[in-house]
Amino acid sequence: MKEVDNLSGDAAMQHLDEMTCLLYIERQLDRARAQDVSAHTEDCATCRTLLHALERESRLLTRAMLEEEEALPARLAQFQERARKSMQWIWTLAFGLAATGVYALYSTYVEPFQTRLQQAGFGSNDLLSLLIFQGAFWKGWRSMVTLLEVLALVTLVGFAVGFFRKRVRRSSALALVLAGFCAALLLQPASAMASETRRGESVVVGPDETIKGDIFLFGERVRVDGTVDGDVFVFGHDVNVNGHVKGDVFGFAQQLRVNGQVDGNVRAFTNTLTITGTVAKNVLTFDEAVNLESSGKIGGSLTIFVENLNLDGTLGKDLLIFAKHLALNGKVNGEIKMKGNTLTINSSAQVAGPISFEGNKEPDVSPQAKLVSPVDFHKMEHKPRYMEGHYYVWQVIWLAAFVLFGLVLFQLMPRFAADAVASAERYGASFGLGVLVFFGVPIAAIIACVTVVGLFVGLASFFVWYAALYFAQIIVGALVGQWLMGHTRETWPLIGRMAVGLIIVRLATVIPGVGGWIKFGVILWGLGAISLALYERFQPTLAANAPSAPYTPPLPPNTTVGGIQQPA
Amino acid sequence: MSAPGKTEPTEAIARARTGDADAWGVLYQEYASAIFRFCRRALPTREDAEDATMDIFAKLMRDNRLLQYDQNRSFTAWLYKVAANHCWDVLRRRKTRQDKETDDLENVPLEHPDPNQLDQLIEQRTSEEVRRALEKLGARARMALVMRYYSDMSYDEIADALGVRRAFVGVVLLRARHQLRQALGQSGALAAGGTS
Repeated sequence: MKEVDNLSGDAAMQHLDEMTCLLYIERQLDRARAQDVSAHTEDCATCRTLLHALERESRLLTRAMLEEEEALPARLAQFQERARKSMQWIWTLAFGLAATGVYALYSTYVEPFQTRLQQAGFGSNDLLSLLIFQGAFWKGWRSMVTLLEVLALVTLVGFAVGFFRKRVRRSSALALVLAGFCAALLLQPASAMASETRRGESVVVGPDETIKGDIFLFGERVRVDGTVDGDVFVFGHDVNVNGHVKGDVFGFAQQLRVNGQVDGNVRAFTNTLTITGTVAKNVLTFDEAVNLESSGKIGGSLTIFVENLNLDGTLGKDLLIFAKHLALNGKVNGEIKMKGNTLTINSSAQVAGPISFEGNKEPDVSPQAKLVSPVDFHKMEHKPRYMEGHYYVWQVIWLAAFVLFGLVLFQLMPRFAADAVASAERYGASFGLGVLVFFGVPIAAIIACVTVVGLFVGLASFFVWYAALYFAQIIVGALVGQWLMGHTRETWPLIGRMAVGLIIVRLATVIPGVGGWIKFGVILWGLGAISLALYERFQPTLAANAPSAPYTPPLPPNTTVGGIQQPA
Repeated sequence: MSAPGKTEPTEAIARARTGDADAWGVLYQEYASAIFRFCRRALPTREDAEDATMDIFAKLMRDNRLLQYDQNRSFTAWLYKVAANHCWDVLRRRKTRQDKETDDLENVPLEHPDPNQLDQLIEQRTSEEVRRALEKLGARARMALVMRYYSDMSYDEIADALGVRRAFVGVVLLRARHQLRQALGQSGALAAGGTS
């Protein structure tokens, strides 16, 4: 560290080297070494001069760099406004696309479905209010608290607690959430209180009984012989409704027979539904087989998803059917719309409205049948899609839509998108997690929907999952693009790679035969990468670029730091 | 912003972390000038400094890198560190043959200065001459001096930004000072004192 002085003429004196002096004035020496230097400079004028010169040099440097105040160039002064405008453009585009997507979704799927529902007798009620405020799970939830519901509710509360804890980190918000849940549990309509539940292997509402309000029946064999003033909710193997139900019947059963009179609607999920009695309003049902016997009568419309329907009785309004086979012997006072395999209209049939049938075989229509017009038949096309020209046009449109979707997402969430693309390179973890999320989320969403409070979470989860299926393909596209054009985490270069990669991925997914499997694999892979990035984002991590802890070596007296004189 | 003791706009920083555009506006107005001056010292031309300033803030806003900032520490210091990293990236990318020659020179042993001559040299030089001399330095030397004597970065931070071991930072700074002295000596004003 010391060197012999050859400058001052004092040959016997050893002097400090310049590096030691610099480290001393910059407080980078340990205390013992700093004390040595301090002691030496008290006796050595040469080293004292060197220290002094180095300190002055530091101050000169700092002064020179700080002194000249250059005004901010106009280009920089305008930059902020330009950045803001560019963000506005992105947000406008995003909202525009979102609004277009929502409108397209509504007009393509929701509105026709809503119209069908109205035709099926759901009136002015929308589906959600029907499910929530007229549904089985609302009216009787307190009576049918099961382990499943408790678990779903606990999961939901846990999710809400976790969500708010991460974002707000205030106990008041947590209390608010919990209070909201408590209020939701306590505030139920008075009508819900007027319900009754019966359980057992064989459950019966006797012929002399009159139930004031709704009733919930759970059993292997269930019979309703008496009168129910409200709705009947029935879960069982063999169910017979022989009495008089003044409200609606909601049935989940292996066999459901409606032999009596129902003044309201019937909504059923069954294996076999048989109606020999009267349903005053509408029937909506999902079954394997449905028989509307000759004595059976439905006052409203029949909306049905079934394998076989035998319609021998009378239907007051329209028939909307998705079925393998319909055999019509009875009377339909409205129109018939059917999509399925075969349609047989026998001699005793009477239809007051038009009949449209899209199926595989020509309908078998008896000449004796009384029809207001001939059956409008459309044969289903089974030609491979890739044999048609417009298939490729649509593929190009889809590709453009994917690129646009990816552009918006990468702009809105550049860091997350880059993280997801990076996660996709962990092939095993991505693919494994993708399988889990692909199958797990819909199941969890359905479980969440079991409870009324979980319905929104379930539906929201499902929509997010569905959107993620598309995002997954974009992520994999970006990764493929990186393979070809090199890695980057910059947003625009990443978008460029995404566009190139997406073209390749989409081309691979339209290969006849294997394209579907490739698409499935891509979705699993991308979904896993997104999930992995999400998982890692919510893990507490140290900021990579955060400044490290300041080094605080011992402070020698009368020194400078960064050119600023420090007090002794 | 660089004035010691000045209060940092913690509320604007917190809001900017959530993506609040107005808060970003406040931060930009507050810090853009200082970051521009930093870049002006670190990079060869004014245009480079303008581009770098815009890139630094654009990346901060676009990628919301504020999420990486530890709010318990100085925001100014963190921002300087981001700027230093960016400028050093820019300089490394355009590493020229001339820089390579400068790097080779860095392996030459340093001559011990005559304290009196050094003191005299510092006495005679003006801030303007030092600024001109700084522009003649190699990229790493200039960068090191700017980080240490303009933005008061610690040896750890300088080591991190330049990608060198912490123990080597003193050597980098000392060599930078020698290059600066040489540049100052070449300016002609040192004729009266003479150099070794």
